[in-house]
Amino acid sequence: MRDNGAMQHSARRDDTAAQPSRMQSAVFLPIGDEGRAELVERRIAEAITGGLIPAGERLPSESALARSLRVAPVTVREALVALRDRGLIVTRRGRNGGSFVADSADPAQFTAKRLGAMSRVALRDLGAHYSAITRACVGLAAARADASEVARIRQRLANADAADEKAWRRAADEAQTEIAALSQSARLTREQMRLQAEFSPFLGLIGQDASAREQQRRAVLAVLDALERGDADAAASAVDAFVRDSVALLIDHQMRLHRA
Amino acid sequence: MKALQATDAPAAVDTVTAFFQRGVDALGEGTRELAADVASARAEGPLTRAKLDAIVLPYAQALFDRAGVTVYGAGFIAAIGLLNDASGHLSWWQGPRHSKLELAAQNIGKEHIDYSELEWYRVPVSTGKPHIAGPHVDYLCSDEYTITVAYPVFVGGEFIGVHGMDVLLDAVEGELLPLLSGETEEITVINAVGRVLVSTNPHRATGDPVRDAGDTLTRYECEGLPLAVLVS
Repeated sequence: MRDNGAMQHSARRDDTAAQPSRMQSAVFLPIGDEGRAELVERRIAEAITGGLIPAGERLPSESALARSLRVAPVTVREALVALRDRGLIVTRRGRNGGSFVADSADPAQFTAKRLGAMSRVALRDLGAHYSAITRACVGLAAARADASEVARIRQRLANADAADEKAWRRAADEAQTEIAALSQSARLTREQMRLQAEFSPFLGLIGQDASAREQQRRAVLAVLDALERGDADAAASAVDAFVRDSVALLIDHQMRLHRA
Repeated sequence: MKALQATDAPAAVDTVTAFFQRGVDALGEGTRELAADVASARAEGPLTRAKLDAIVLPYAQALFDRAGVTVYGAGFIAAIGLLNDASGHLSWWQGPRHSKLELAAQNIGKEHIDYSELEWYRVPVSTGKPHIAGPHVDYLCSDEYTITVAYPVFVGGEFIGVHGMDVLLDAVEGELLPLLSGETEEITVINAVGRVLVSTNPHRATGDPVRDAGDTLTRYECEGLPLAVLVS
């Protein structure tokens, strides 16, 4: 393989070099031997436990999953067997058959379990990462967004029913993605979406409380207000305050979990 | 900014207009035939995602092969309610390998995004005319920074979907800038909200709005397109 050849060549050259830079040594760190089926299993399991694919929803067919994940169908099949063994999905045969997320898969419970097992250090670090990327997005968006684009996000958010927990969570995630995209940066938007997928289940957990949902709504509106004024600092502070409040609520929630 | 008649426009404005018009025309070429194919499939029986995909694929392939610009993604987006087995659907191929877009599998959660509100769908539906949407980070399909050329598709007055293609801003820069390399003036292409697509001025970033134009830049509309050219 060409890639291996290139790596061996670099490694040999490094033998004679004084000290490889830290970035360079990172290239040769072990990549782990986790199999592809395990990677597929983990990806789908995270989506189910995070509530991105709700209970009862049908998964794409084996062949569709294999095509889009660019793995062999047998790899997908292996992953689905593992997910079935964990009770996350059920498989039905027949005309309307396929793999479905188990009705018992309750993302709130999964997320509570994850929160309970997470250290405060890790939780705060997730908040710091989420906040940093989101602030970078809104900073660029404040300089680049057109008022009409901000107004449309505001309109869609106003149409979302905050009384419905799931509908609100979805609308809030969408608004956040749209705000990130206003940065006109593909890299930052991709990174923000990845972090949103990770952080959103936690926001959903504290959003079980209606007043917390109202707080979340006001936070997004504060960001939109700042974007409309082209005020990058105010947009970044609004994000920062929101993440700090959310992490504090999550730590409270975690303490209640530990006491229970 | 001064607004001048198109007859006064420098040659660079024609170059820019022709560049984008070529993409719009390439898309429009297949649109009528695609509409006819979808109409006859509907007349035969229930229209499903799989049937639609089979109809659209050759049209997408033709764009990849012959659009006259490097196309990153191409296909047809069904009008909400067109299909019998899903409310909406994107028959879409993209990327270096022209892979089929599998929304649900690619990024779970994305399939819930309501595309009827997005510029490349909303504008051609409401105007009935082709549109160039963006520049935007296309977070639904490619996660890349693109413009989307979008042609509304009608069958007997009924709107059935959008025939579209994505072109990366990378490609716009790589393929349009060389055509403008002989220009001594600054040439900056902006969209309807004043966002820069590409500029011969290396300090004017793609994605930025032009707010400092003042009297230093003259604005020329690209006839028939939602774009304008600013010339120093």
